[in-house]
Amino acid sequence: MTEATPNVLVVDDEVQIRRFLRSGFELDGYSVSEAESGRDAIRAATLRPTDLIILDLALPDLDGSQVLERIRSWSNVPIIILSVRSSEMEKVRLFEMGADDYVTKPFGMAELLARSKVVLRRKARATTGDSVVRIGRLKIDLAARNVFVGDERLTLTPKEYRLLQILAQYPGNVVTHQELLKEIWGLPHINDTHYLRIVVRKLRQKIESDPNHPTILLTELGVGYRLAPPNEPGETPTQ
Amino acid sequence: MKQQPLQPVEIIAPMPRPRSFSENAAQLLRGSGDPGGMTGVVGALVLVIAVTAALAVIKTAFIDLPPIVITYLIPVLIAAIRWGFLPALTATIGGAACAAFFFYKPVHTFYVEDPARRLGLVIFALVAIVAAHLAVRMRRESEIVRKREKEISDLYAFSRRLAGGHSTADIFDAIQKHLSTVVGRKVALFEPSGPANRPTPIGESDVPQDIRNAVVAVIAGNADAAAGMTVTDDHGDIWLVHAVSSKTPDLGVVAIDLGSQTPESEKEIRARIEAILHDAAQTIEQIGLAHAITEVRMRAESDRFRDALIGSVSHELRTPLASILGAATVLCDAPAIAAEARLAALANVVREESERLNNEIQNLLDATRISGEALQPKLEWAELSDVVNAAVERRPSRFVCHSIEVDLPPELPLIQADAVLIEKALGQILANSAKYSPPGSRIRIRGWREDRMVAIAVSDEGAGLSAEDSAHLGERFFRGRRHINTTPGSGLGFWIATAFIAANGGAIDATSAGEGKGTTVTIRLPIPANVDQLESIASD
Repeated sequence: MTEATPNVLVVDDEVQIRRFLRSGFELDGYSVSEAESGRDAIRAATLRPTDLIILDLALPDLDGSQVLERIRSWSNVPIIILSVRSSEMEKVRLFEMGADDYVTKPFGMAELLARSKVVLRRKARATTGDSVVRIGRLKIDLAARNVFVGDERLTLTPKEYRLLQILAQYPGNVVTHQELLKEIWGLPHINDTHYLRIVVRKLRQKIESDPNHPTILLTELGVGYRLAPPNEPGETPTQ
Repeated sequence: MKQQPLQPVEIIAPMPRPRSFSENAAQLLRGSGDPGGMTGVVGALVLVIAVTAALAVIKTAFIDLPPIVITYLIPVLIAAIRWGFLPALTATIGGAACAAFFFYKPVHTFYVEDPARRLGLVIFALVAIVAAHLAVRMRRESEIVRKREKEISDLYAFSRRLAGGHSTADIFDAIQKHLSTVVGRKVALFEPSGPANRPTPIGESDVPQDIRNAVVAVIAGNADAAAGMTVTDDHGDIWLVHAVSSKTPDLGVVAIDLGSQTPESEKEIRARIEAILHDAAQTIEQIGLAHAITEVRMRAESDRFRDALIGSVSHELRTPLASILGAATVLCDAPAIAAEARLAALANVVREESERLNNEIQNLLDATRISGEALQPKLEWAELSDVVNAAVERRPSRFVCHSIEVDLPPELPLIQADAVLIEKALGQILANSAKYSPPGSRIRIRGWREDRMVAIAVSDEGAGLSAEDSAHLGERFFRGRRHINTTPGSGLGFWIATAFIAANGGAIDATSAGEGKGTTVTIRLPIPANVDQLESIASD
């Protein structure tokens, strides 16, 4: 990956959409390549170095989710899904298939750029192998299993820590309710959403400065939770 | 739906039972003979003569055979089986007489000399009468079996016609035809629909006025529906007027010309007609059920069609809109445009208006989902503050010029609801508040617990509600008179919010101190009964 000009692959069968996405990304300093079908997309992703894929779900040849599945079988390149459908069930399915983010059409370019930035940064962090995640004043040391707010070390229950740990493995990434319930309480409790709500509520009281307006542990309504994007290296905590 | 054919085992129409010996004798004495009475008697005599001739030939050609009278059992049995009891009796007497006259000494007189032969003749007569009775009985039984068979096959044909009938007209036609076959006379069926005092018969139209009056009485429920009624017309024919279903005249009324009947045979035929009508009524009820099932299936199909339409509309309208909005946002942020204030303003107009268009499309899609009853809330435990935060963050960019103040107590109970629908409802209410209150004014969101309900109120400092507004708020497409020409909108927002909240078992109400004094919209959602025990469940 080249830090200066990330390569983004735009996959959409609508030429107008590709056109504005190209302009938007190029103005923001990306280099853009395009694909208009699922097969083109898979070929392009194998042939060219790609840092980010913007994937429309409705493609003429393959379903977008098939393309996602195929690319995920050999690559963990960040993939943001575009779709005119905004069903929460579909979002859950795509997140569980390895989508990094989901944007409902129509959308503003600024929003897509912001989300692209988050997934790219996540990728960069993952490659450095840093075991410490910093989000605002929160510091999670995954190796030492310690959590700090500012300089104060928090006492978390095992389930609170487990929740934070799962989310911190992919900060900024949405983890669905079902995945969290399965990981923390086990398969029989996969529909006991209230377990999750109560632990999240308690955890927010410990890590958020205003638990009613969380800025670290964020809710993706009807889908799951995510941690806010981690601080840039060298960024000073603001909270 | 496939119909069950009527079960033949359930046919309970009484059949004529075989007559007893005394009944045979009694009928004989009454003189009302079996069918073909005279033909039978003549036939029996011819048979007796033929046998006598044959015996005479044998007697001349061969030697005298002592028990010759036994041979006359042949004409007796044939007559009994073919024509009935009277011809059989004729054959018995004739046979005995011929034997005495032609074959027993003294020949050519009816006197029989030998006492043993006299006794033989008496025994023959007894045996012949008993055999004739048994043969007649057998014949009747086999006739009954044949008749029963035919009725069963008729009934099968009838039930097939009923099952194949797609409309009430088909079914009534089948009932009418079947009854005609069974009764063998005029059958008129009066449909339940149509003017009550002038019922029009199906099939047979030649129905006397007296009978029509009786039909009107049965349709009106004046007559006992289970019993039906009999009316005698000008020609002395008895008509049976009976509702198809004994429970209700709604399934139609039949008028059946029974002709002239003895009270006994009338009772018999009435019982059979009632049995047929009973089966027909059951089938019609089943078909009613089938129609209900068909309706459900058709509704499911129209649901699928509507879903397809929603999908297609949302795709067809939103795809170009996505390009417009996307391109507008690129233009807004492009350095060349941003440097040129007038162009930047235009780019913003395109962006804001396409956002608004997108919201209107979303409202229409939501409204279609509501009116099509396609709303199926996915109930899950949810944190109210998450819902409120999402609604506040997701509000359209043109409404950011209001200060939004959220005041939720930290210990509000979890709700069990479709968080996405609640968020959309709240979003609609926030959009309305922002739309009808001056820029820069404050919008407050408060939450509190009320016994078994949790309430969220959105208060603004805007236009408020007039008495007329309050009365019509919540109606689809209602827009306040003061705003129709000044503020764009479709009048769907509050209606959608109401429907979304109602789908989650909640209620919504709007109050205002008056025009220009702001509006408070309060959403109330039920608190699940077990919510207070939840805290302990999830702990480690």
